[in-house]
Amino acid sequence: MAIEVLFAIFVGLSGGLAVGSGLVAFITVLGIIPRLVQLTKTYKAVQAYELAVVIGALVGTISGLHGLRLSLPDLFTVPVGLAAGIFVGMLAAALTEVLNVFPILAKRIGMEENLMSLVMAIVFGKIIGSLFHWVFYVTF
Amino acid sequence: MEQHIYLQFFSKGSVVSNQTIYVKDIARLEGKSDILPSIMELPIYKINAKDKSHVVIDALTVLQQIHSFFPQITVHVIGREQTVLEIKIQRKIVTPVMLVLVWFLLFIGAALAIMNFHEDVSMLSVHQKLYSLITGKNLTQPLLLQIPYSFGLGLGMILFFNHLFKKRINEEPSPLEIEMFQYRQEIENYLAETNTDRRSKPWQSKSYSPFSSD
Repeated sequence: MAIEVLFAIFVGLSGGLAVGSGLVAFITVLGIIPRLVQLTKTYKAVQAYELAVVIGALVGTISGLHGLRLSLPDLFTVPVGLAAGIFVGMLAAALTEVLNVFPILAKRIGMEENLMSLVMAIVFGKIIGSLFHWVFYVTF
Repeated sequence: MEQHIYLQFFSKGSVVSNQTIYVKDIARLEGKSDILPSIMELPIYKINAKDKSHVVIDALTVLQQIHSFFPQITVHVIGREQTVLEIKIQRKIVTPVMLVLVWFLLFIGAALAIMNFHEDVSMLSVHQKLYSLITGKNLTQPLLLQIPYSFGLGLGMILFFNHLFKKRINEEPSPLEIEMFQYRQEIENYLAETNTDRRSKPWQSKSYSPFSSD
């Protein structure tokens, strides 16, 4: 029995280690934190941001696995949704950037001057696609 | 008396077809001021119809041209040993139509991609869980969370590309500008390193140089 418990702890710990380091590596590679630091000029707060990522991951794990429930007013979901969206948006933008999508596309079709409007096409596509998904698509 | 001048290539960027490239177009010079203006005006290469999209000009090509007019000058090349010129081609395609087409393509593609992404990662059930975590209520369609999420998505992309706050927050180049620059530089490096047998040289093959045989 004790061995089984110890083994379960070991498996849980190693699984968590792998997933956690993977998450941090992913965020680091995409450079979202440096980008936010650069935008807000808060170079000294990097460690606080690291802590925010770690605590966020922990809270997400605990609440997701244990069905935590608060009883806050509905409006509290608005800032949470907005923050989640901004983060996923930055993730998506960082991913297209890592994959060199825009430079190659703009070069191939010769639209280097219109680069920003092409970016806006993707931005609006994301917003409209997401709204369509939540408002109409999921009710089909 | 022997004179020394120093030559440093800079990136000119683009040139048009049939343009003649002079030394002043591709390099900065430093040395005795009385001869510099005449060196600046030496023609190096004329862009012709055979050139495709890029022309690489080597330091040796420039040195040879300078030496054939001013044999007594010693030229020191500082920094890069070649410069890459991009030839601007006049496009026949109607760009506004193309732009609208590509814009529409990207728009639909992005919309579809985000929907696929949401389905792939079960974003709906995550949102439902998140909603019940905060409010304690179970909703199949937590729009109060999802609509801000959707707008945040666009905002996050704009923030990342530094478009909205470009002028206000900082003067640093955005990741996209850096990316465009690096892409161009990679092309230039590739051309400079691989295409050693260039047409811009007055001689044609790698092994032959006009002064080596005689």
